Amino acid sequence: MATTPPLVVRASPLRRLQKELFGSRLDGLISIALLAALLAAGLGFFRWALFQAQWAVLSANSTLFAVGRYPVEQQWRLWLLTTLLALATGFSWGLLRAFPGSGAVRALWPRNDRWAAAILAVLALWRPMALQLTLAIQVRWWGIAGLLLLARWAAGRYGPAIPQACRRLIPLLWPLLYLVGMVLISGGLGLVQVPPSEWGGLLLTVLMATFAILLCFPLGVLLALGRRSELPLLRWGSVIYIEFIRGAPLITLLFLGQNILGFLLPGGLAPDRVWRAAWVLTFFAAAYVAEAVRSGLVAVPAGQLEAARSLGLPVPLALVHVVLPQALRVALPATVGQFITLLQDTTLLSLIGLLDLLGTARTVMANPMFLGKNAEVYLVLAILFWSCCAALGLGSRALETRLNPHSPSAPQA
Amino acid sequence: MTSRSEVTPWWRNRRYLPWLVQGAVALVIGVVVAFLLTNLLLNLTARGLLLSWSWLGQPAGFDLAETILPFDASLPYWRAMLAGLVNTLRVVIAGLVGATVLGTLIGTASFSSNGLLRRLARVYVEVIRNIPLLLQLIFWYFVVFLALPNGRDALQLPGLVLAKSGLFLGSPELVDGVWQAPLRFTVEFGALLTGLVVYTAAFIAEVVRGGIASVPKGQWEAATSLGFPPLLTLRRIVLPQALRVIVPGLNSQYISLAKNSSLAVACGFTDLYSVSETTLNQTGRAIEVMLILLGSYLVIDLVISALMNGLNGLVQLRER
Amino acid sequence: MTSSPALMIEARGVEKWYPNGFHALRGVDLCVHQGEVVVIMGPSGSGKSTFLRTFNAMEDFQKGSIVVDGIEISDDLRRIDAIRREVGMVFQQFNLFPHLTVLDNLTLAPVKVRKRPKAEVERQALELLERVGIAEQAHKFPGQLSGGQQQRVAIARSLCMEPRIMLFDEPTSALDPEMVQEVLAVMQELARDGMTMVVVSHEVRFARKVASRVVLMADGEVVEVAPPQQFFTNPRHERSKQFLSQIS
Repeated sequence: MATTPPLVVRASPLRRLQKELFGSRLDGLISIALLAALLAAGLGFFRWALFQAQWAVLSANSTLFAVGRYPVEQQWRLWLLTTLLALATGFSWGLLRAFPGSGAVRALWPRNDRWAAAILAVLALWRPMALQLTLAIQVRWWGIAGLLLLARWAAGRYGPAIPQACRRLIPLLWPLLYLVGMVLISGGLGLVQVPPSEWGGLLLTVLMATFAILLCFPLGVLLALGRRSELPLLRWGSVIYIEFIRGAPLITLLFLGQNILGFLLPGGLAPDRVWRAAWVLTFFAAAYVAEAVRSGLVAVPAGQLEAARSLGLPVPLALVHVVLPQALRVALPATVGQFITLLQDTTLLSLIGLLDLLGTARTVMANPMFLGKNAEVYLVLAILFWSCCAALGLGSRALETRLNPHSPSAPQA
Repeated sequence: MTSRSEVTPWWRNRRYLPWLVQGAVALVIGVVVAFLLTNLLLNLTARGLLLSWSWLGQPAGFDLAETILPFDASLPYWRAMLAGLVNTLRVVIAGLVGATVLGTLIGTASFSSNGLLRRLARVYVEVIRNIPLLLQLIFWYFVVFLALPNGRDALQLPGLVLAKSGLFLGSPELVDGVWQAPLRFTVEFGALLTGLVVYTAAFIAEVVRGGIASVPKGQWEAATSLGFPPLLTLRRIVLPQALRVIVPGLNSQYISLAKNSSLAVACGFTDLYSVSETTLNQTGRAIEVMLILLGSYLVIDLVISALMNGLNGLVQLRER
Repeated sequence: MTSSPALMIEARGVEKWYPNGFHALRGVDLCVHQGEVVVIMGPSGSGKSTFLRTFNAMEDFQKGSIVVDGIEISDDLRRIDAIRREVGMVFQQFNLFPHLTVLDNLTLAPVKVRKRPKAEVERQALELLERVGIAEQAHKFPGQLSGGQQQRVAIARSLCMEPRIMLFDEPTSALDPEMVQEVLAVMQELARDGMTMVVVSHEVRFARKVASRVVLMADGEVVEVAPPQQFFTNPRHERSKQFLSQIS
């Protein structure tokens, strides 16, 4: 293996390819070996995927994977929620394009967006068919995807016409939708109660991940501020908490939540098993987010707080308007990294007997009808997790550049 | 400051306010902790589970699939947990070595002059990091290792046999359709180790890559101009300097690996956590088991940190 | 008494020890009247910056008293906030907020602290930027400006709070030589408009031209207070002569 930093040479693509793959005799040998291995692996995989794999295990259990044992007669609520989410997503997406960050060019359908829309359309048309869902359900998915793109188009086209006063309320859409979603999922306000023990599959995974991400962030910021505080009690309290949590494997903490929380609270006060796990996830991730945020706080010069204080801003206002915006921007990649880890960590719920995506998969595997169909299921789960995590990573990078490309702390393009 | 014309109200006195805030925080924490502890005490008393360690001496009554220390069901609980701890240490140490080697290879591969190798290294990191470790462990165990052939069909190499019943080293023999050898690793251990190594290597590769990238380009150029071949430059010039950046990053990856080994239960390996779970289910001693568990992992973390700090000191010293 | 200008800063016997025991200020006295420009000079470590920073309670002190614009500094947070609203400060390192545009840097404090309507503050901010000569940069970010421009924005930012006193902590020390003049010019104009100013600086020419009085500090004490003409041509104290010979 020859190792020199790659040289940037402008040459014809074929010349470049030759140089990259067969620059020296050793490189040529490596390339041939790698290409052969890739070819063999690719052929093997396609042979398996096309002729051996039996995808019926997914189509037969698609509802189970999607929502677990959520009562059939109440599933319309989840369809409604999905529709609302699609509308909100399309709307926000369109607005982001209607009001691009400083420096970016405004365009109704930039190239990336056309790709995203195309992929979405293909997914909406092909996935339900590939899963052999009933026509009624296929049509629903087409409708939802159509609504998303329609909202995207409408917001992009007419977004600028929204009056300034209303525009400021738009970010509130998402927290509001979250509350509506919680009511739709769990019931109350005239809807039949669906206890958390009946939630499962993708629904449970997404719910746990979003709940923990939303709550661990403010907690993590507070802990990071506490750790940087001049007050010894706050500082040491935060340090002890953060280091204790970071010293323990998540599974032991989840275990603690399931087995010891009942002892710590008076009878009846302890939350349901699902919520216990959700809180453990939240408190666990908060310690890691705190460390990410702390790295951002360290990067803000002390003079910033001083300047803000000298202008008469009280400490809380100075933190909110001056220190935190800068610190959080620096901490953004690390924080999103923690969110990605958190999303992956939701799989541990399956180890304490909850039926998240992985837990559902394991119960399906236990069904004699689908014995030995591990590979198919785990492959699809892996692709699902990979795309969500990769999308989060991409989103974080996009946000980083969008947040003020001219400031010195932003990465230079 | 003396000579104050009027008395400042305490709630906006900057001398007392910090203490006031801290007092309030201490009060809240104190009340919460007291509340939790009171409940704990009441609940434990009600169930007759007050803190005690004598149960550790009672016979465990369960068997462990795989141990280095001799163990059977008649031995006490503490021996079971010790056997679990040893199993954890075994997989952690093997994992550290494996992940470091694989991670270093992949990390340096991203600086290769071979474009394909470079891109494959990136793809490896991006794929592995974005798939949950637990999913990967289950995949290795159920899809790969449990699908291995057994008996006569097992993978056979000179001095080595890989079968569904395990990895056999040192002249394995087939006796009545069952492989036997002086050294045997179970597939549970194999799956856990493979999963941990493959997963952690992706993170270590990033650490190594960052470390190498932190070495100024001038160092490469200087070495090349002196006639060093690339591999030698990497090994003798760049890596020693990159270690300053790499070692602290490795520390946190090693600790994650140790903590992640607790997912052993997913591939049926009896590590400390898995033994603890069984113990708790049998004895109901939740508090004691939790204390042992948390304490053990804390000690493992601290030992790794201490070793890595020592190594860090060596690496940094060489600089001067 | 009634005819003399109002007393804006009155420091009496100020003493400060750092937590590590270092005696930074050893009983310093200083009075600054309205409209005066006082330039504090002295070798590094003489306590001049520390002294300046006690005027808006950025540094606390253990003995003595300081009265700023009729408000005595105490541990009362409300008073400290009141003083900081009346006293502007310009730092050596500018300390502009890099995540906000120049205009937002100016309007942040007036809007959030003085609760003034944003549109009105923006109008005033643009006027101030005009005055310091960088109105056309209002919508850029600080990172896109030169050091001299940044320091002028920092001055405008302080002025936007409509302070009655301005403190300058080595405002030109971090600047490239060719940018020093543009900042000093702004400060000179500010002085001409009657702003009360206390400046820690090594700029002799500025002190000669603009200062009402020059203060020399050394080892945490005020060594000499004199009008610039006298200070620079005929210093009374040995320490002053020594200092002047070092900087010229």
